Amino acid sequence: KACQEVLLQVQLQNREVAGPQWDAGSIREEEEEDGEEEEEEKRGSVREISESTSSSAAASKQSWLLRLFESKLFDVSMAIAYLYKSKEPGVQAYIGNRLFSFPDSEVDFYLPQLLNMYVHMDTEVGDAISPYLIYRCRGGIAFSLLTAWLLGAYSSDMHISTQRHSRGAKLRKLILSDELKPSSPPPDAHSRACMASVSADIDVFVSPSRRTHQRSKSDATTASSGPGAGLRRTGSNPKVEAVHEEPDRLRPQRELVKSLLGIGKRLATLPTKEQKTQRLISELSLLNHKLPARVWLPTAEHQHHVCRVPHTQAVVLNSKDKAPYIIYVEVLECESFETSPVPVRIPETRIRSARSAENLDCGVSHRAGSFSTVPNYDNDDEAWATDDIGQLQVEVETQTSSSDNISQFSVDSITSLESKEPVFIAAGDIRRRLSENLAHTPTSFRRDPEDPSAVALKEPWEEKVRRIREGSPYGHLPNWRLLSVIVKCGDDLRQELLAYQVLRQLQSIWQQERVPLWIKPYKILVMSSDSGMIEPVLNAVSLHQVRKQSQLSLLDYFLQEHGSFTTEEFLTAQRNFVQSCAGYSLICYLLHNGNILLDSEGHIIHIDFGFILSSSPRNLGFETSAFKLTSEFVDVMGGLNGDMFIYYKMLMLQGLIAARKHMEKVLQIVEIMQQGSHLPCFHGSSTIRGLKERFHMSLTEEQLQLLVEQLVDGSMRSITTKLYDSFQYVTNGIM
Amino acid sequence: MSQLEKKAGLLRRTSSSKKPLKEKVVLMYDEIFAKEDPAKNNPRFWDELFLMKVNLEYLESKLESVDGEEVQRIQDNINSLFHHCVQALGEEHQIKVVNALQTLCALFRGVHQKNKSTSGFDIINMLMGFDKAEQRMKDLMERLDSLLCGDGSESLKSLCLKLLLCLVTVTDNISQNTILEYVMINSIFEAILQILSDVSSRGQHGYDAVVLLALLVNYRKYESVNPYIVKLSIVDDEPTLDGMGMVVHQALTEYNRQYKDKEEEHQGGFFSTLTSMVGSMFIADADEKLSVQTNEAILLALYEAVHLNRNFITVLAQSHPEMDIPTTPTTPTPTTPTTPLGTTPPSLDMMNNPELPLDPNLQTSNLLITFLKYASIVMQDTKDEHRLNSARLCLIILTCIAEDQYADAFLHDDNMNFRVNLHRMVSFWLLEDTLHRKKAVDKNIPSRPLVCAVLDLMVEFIVTHMMKDFPMDLYLRCVQIIHKLLCYQKKCRIRLHYTWRELWSGKDPSLSLSQKPFLGDYDTFQMKFQETTLNLFNMFITYGDTFLPTSNSYDELYYEIVRMHQVFDNLYCMVLRVSTNTGQWKEAASKVTHALINVRAIVNHFNPKIESYAAVNHISQLSEEQVLEVVRSNYDTLTLKLQDGLDQFERYSEQPKEAAFFKELVRSISLNVRKNVSLNTLSQDILLKEFSTIS
Repeated sequence: KACQEVLLQVQLQNREVAGPQWDAGSIREEEEEDGEEEEEEKRGSVREISESTSSSAAASKQSWLLRLFESKLFDVSMAIAYLYKSKEPGVQAYIGNRLFSFPDSEVDFYLPQLLNMYVHMDTEVGDAISPYLIYRCRGGIAFSLLTAWLLGAYSSDMHISTQRHSRGAKLRKLILSDELKPSSPPPDAHSRACMASVSADIDVFVSPSRRTHQRSKSDATTASSGPGAGLRRTGSNPKVEAVHEEPDRLRPQRELVKSLLGIGKRLATLPTKEQKTQRLISELSLLNHKLPARVWLPTAEHQHHVCRVPHTQAVVLNSKDKAPYIIYVEVLECESFETSPVPVRIPETRIRSARSAENLDCGVSHRAGSFSTVPNYDNDDEAWATDDIGQLQVEVETQTSSSDNISQFSVDSITSLESKEPVFIAAGDIRRRLSENLAHTPTSFRRDPEDPSAVALKEPWEEKVRRIREGSPYGHLPNWRLLSVIVKCGDDLRQELLAYQVLRQLQSIWQQERVPLWIKPYKILVMSSDSGMIEPVLNAVSLHQVRKQSQLSLLDYFLQEHGSFTTEEFLTAQRNFVQSCAGYSLICYLLHNGNILLDSEGHIIHIDFGFILSSSPRNLGFETSAFKLTSEFVDVMGGLNGDMFIYYKMLMLQGLIAARKHMEKVLQIVEIMQQGSHLPCFHGSSTIRGLKERFHMSLTEEQLQLLVEQLVDGSMRSITTKLYDSFQYVTNGIM
Repeated sequence: MSQLEKKAGLLRRTSSSKKPLKEKVVLMYDEIFAKEDPAKNNPRFWDELFLMKVNLEYLESKLESVDGEEVQRIQDNINSLFHHCVQALGEEHQIKVVNALQTLCALFRGVHQKNKSTSGFDIINMLMGFDKAEQRMKDLMERLDSLLCGDGSESLKSLCLKLLLCLVTVTDNISQNTILEYVMINSIFEAILQILSDVSSRGQHGYDAVVLLALLVNYRKYESVNPYIVKLSIVDDEPTLDGMGMVVHQALTEYNRQYKDKEEEHQGGFFSTLTSMVGSMFIADADEKLSVQTNEAILLALYEAVHLNRNFITVLAQSHPEMDIPTTPTTPTPTTPTTPLGTTPPSLDMMNNPELPLDPNLQTSNLLITFLKYASIVMQDTKDEHRLNSARLCLIILTCIAEDQYADAFLHDDNMNFRVNLHRMVSFWLLEDTLHRKKAVDKNIPSRPLVCAVLDLMVEFIVTHMMKDFPMDLYLRCVQIIHKLLCYQKKCRIRLHYTWRELWSGKDPSLSLSQKPFLGDYDTFQMKFQETTLNLFNMFITYGDTFLPTSNSYDELYYEIVRMHQVFDNLYCMVLRVSTNTGQWKEAASKVTHALINVRAIVNHFNPKIESYAAVNHISQLSEEQVLEVVRSNYDTLTLKLQDGLDQFERYSEQPKEAAFFKELVRSISLNVRKNVSLNTLSQDILLKEFSTIS
């Protein structure tokens, strides 16, 4: 058999390899944990083999399986599939090693699958994956933490007695103990020398690229002591992270997550939204004292350090008995959050002086180690004697002159000072300008204490960024960015993560097949089986909020927001709406769920994948339609006989055909996660079968077209969509 | 001379009658006040002295009774005593340190009581000897500094602070206390900051530290470079500033709580007799009972922090859970509110807990809210001098806040909404109405940006106060604060959803803002008040388009102006008369006349229109809606004059305008602090017990 050949080859070469390639440290730890030293070493060497095998390709072209593994077509998705399906230890081991050759980002997508296999499948699979995981954990804090969180979450469905001794729990413990430091492999002798010899500061100066103990120690001190030059004696500051002899690399980030989740838990005990929001703001303001620090938002694309939380912008989201909330986070982008120096703290009141001293500050962010020379604004007398309002006036003036097109504001009194002639104005003009100005302000939502998030979410993102940037002492820095994140406490986000993966997969399938269906997978961060973070969808509010605030039909709302039927804006928005409807109709058909957002470009976005697969209402006694298609939706698409509606159905067909073509890639994601899981979406035995059936592999394209027609028809006629709406409302407390 | 003799004689008599019972320490004091060097016969004299329990009364009265000639004679011994006190501060034996601290206290006080009229030079010479003074004081300050910053006993630290407070307040006028010159050179600023930055030490000594700092900042404030001013102005360590804010917050909260307790105590009887008895007498009586001693020292500290340190502004908005809960029985509650120094502030758990406690009933609060509540209580009644000073200081602090851009930003932050329960004035002619209103209002105060609470406080003060000799400067400050806030709103184009109507017209027309200028005689404040008030109206009239929340509100502004036309007419007549006469008010009055132009134009434009509308439609009394309709349809024929500098204001500066006020204020604070310290330092028995058991 082919696999056996591979195995044989592996074993053969195993003997040839002289010694373990892993540095002693990692194995020792493993040994303590499992006593699997030998296995480890074998894996370690296997990796080497596989690499050497690939280099000497001639010898391995003996079997088709091996050829497949060696081929360019062999991607992570296939690797995961074989890892899951193959019972052959040799193949598993081979794939375990092949993982090293894939780009990190591609493997990262399948991390939930990898870890779920690691936790729930037999030892062979676990052993095959283990070296890769440990290698990656050594490589970075971000991966380490992500792995630890996921391991915790996926182990949670095990019985409590087995859980503690499980492989997953052990690896998690190992990661969190911070034993998995970067193995100091033969780096450049230069940095090694600094590590060995000199103190933290010098190290920072000389090699900002390499992280060491001293490095993080100096972080802790800078992050805490701040620019209080006159306050050297301030020894015991409670709010400051204690400086340990052996500082924990993972600690700042874990602390951040801990405090964010703690806030969520405490908020849940408060009765009203208003109290929740107030408390949230005050808790976050305390958090601000510890920033900037070596912490980051795991949902972000780019490397950065969090420098400030504009706490007053945070809002509590709508939920019945939990308190999810959205926070906005100011970050400063950097090369690497692990090694770049943490930005210097700038006091809140320094908005203006910071701006005037812009040059000074840019230097700070770029030069490594320059945080020891904090620019002291206090030295200039202006610091507290300046004319605040005067300066402010200048700022506002320049700003409005550039950004304001209305320019019909009142004449400023300054102008009248210049010309000694008395200036007269008509009362009618003032009154008219007042109404005009009020009318010109963009349609913002009313402030509603029962729905505090509506206003915050409705504000266009660009505007929010500009506004927060203006008010931030860090806003002048060129690498300043604004991010946001939803913190969820008491919610299991594993299903959400699964849905995200399926959506991402379908999105890339549709992109690959060039079908213009539009969906927006949003990132999910599982931190335990009942907490996590969600990347918010920008510029989007829920349909419910739209309805409640505007008191308009969806079509009228589109007309109000985008212009009349013939404008390009409206047509674009309509096309966006149709493409996203088609996308999500298919998603709904395949997975099921319900809550819908509408973004400023007209796309709809489904969120809250709480009821998917086997946990969909279908299994709760509802005979529902395939997806949500209300008459309002059809109206926006231009009616049942409109071109756009036909386009909608065509898109669905194309999307389904494309998805069907790559069904395995989708199924695999779900199937692996079913292992050992007690999630409601896997309830029963027919989850995968049901999902598979909905791809209708056996139908011809004509039959598929008919199916789409039927689905659309059924969804429109169904009143259960409405019923389901209210069902979601009741169960989720979703507004 | 004879008086001194008599006093000395008295002292002798009492001491002789109790001779057999005379304490050893008293005998030793007597030795010091003799000619001889007490250590001459007994080399261990000083060692022994500091092991004895101090008899403060005796020592002080002894010092007091020393007359001019004797001073020369015993100066060496007193210098020696002082010297050994300072030395003893470095002792390991804590009893000695305690005794030395108390002895120093007695020395400073005794010398000053005696030498009320003598110069600072003489005092220093008598205590330390002029040539050695610099070194002695340096040693003393260094020892105190290391005691305060060390890990030693908390009671010792407390005693150190008491000694410093005692030293700082030993003269009525702090600037005449020459010894403080050495405290300036040998700064203990850092020690004070350290106390404030540490959670546990802040809980125990924060109050004393903050008061001490506030007093030190006021030493020769206007004459010389005071290092404490300089240092305080550049502190930017957030935990420390927060700590300072927390101390102030807690002291003000404590005051608010006591007031509320008293108020509730009296409420029962208050309501039952309400129906039978409505009169000013009764209210006055109730007010009397409700008065709680104000705390100007802590308010002064807040002022200095806000005024001098721009970083402190952030602390104002720093949220804390409301500490408005009654202190738990385990913590000692201050026995009397009049001696805030007497007891260490109750150490609330949340002071020590960096995490916010989890209590759903706890409202989130911040220093600014607590301060506004405090101000609302103080400003209700400005009859006695302390409360008047407190109210004035509150308004000065608010003036500083309103001028700060960062403060304005968070005051207007739409996302920072709070319910602020301001205490409202119970005016007797509005009694019943107000009480009903108050009850209703308390329950559902809307959650709004903080600036609304500031405006409420200002409007409430202007609208409801009626006093025969009302302090015009306070009204002027109120109007100026509103003006500053309006300037900010105009510049940043913030449309605050505030019912400006309450400002434009009072509830009762006779109490309206524009009515105020007619009370009292003319003076500078009055003129300035009228001008600023009219400028507020002019801001609304000519710049309303930039900051009014609704189109309707502009119509309402006109409606109110027209409705109150009588007021403006009268004012016009009055200032016209003053400005045509040649007098000292001529110029000021013509400014007011000038500011009246637009208001009068509006009145003269709309009144005939309204009358004719009434005539045409045969209505005798127009409804508000009808008047508004007339206003709306007649804007176009009205021309207004743009006034100069409406959106400019004079920035607050302490010198020279407020200097006299602060001098008096600091004097009164000094007296109060001195009184309280003396009460307290004497009763250190507990402290002594603590140490005697340890050692």
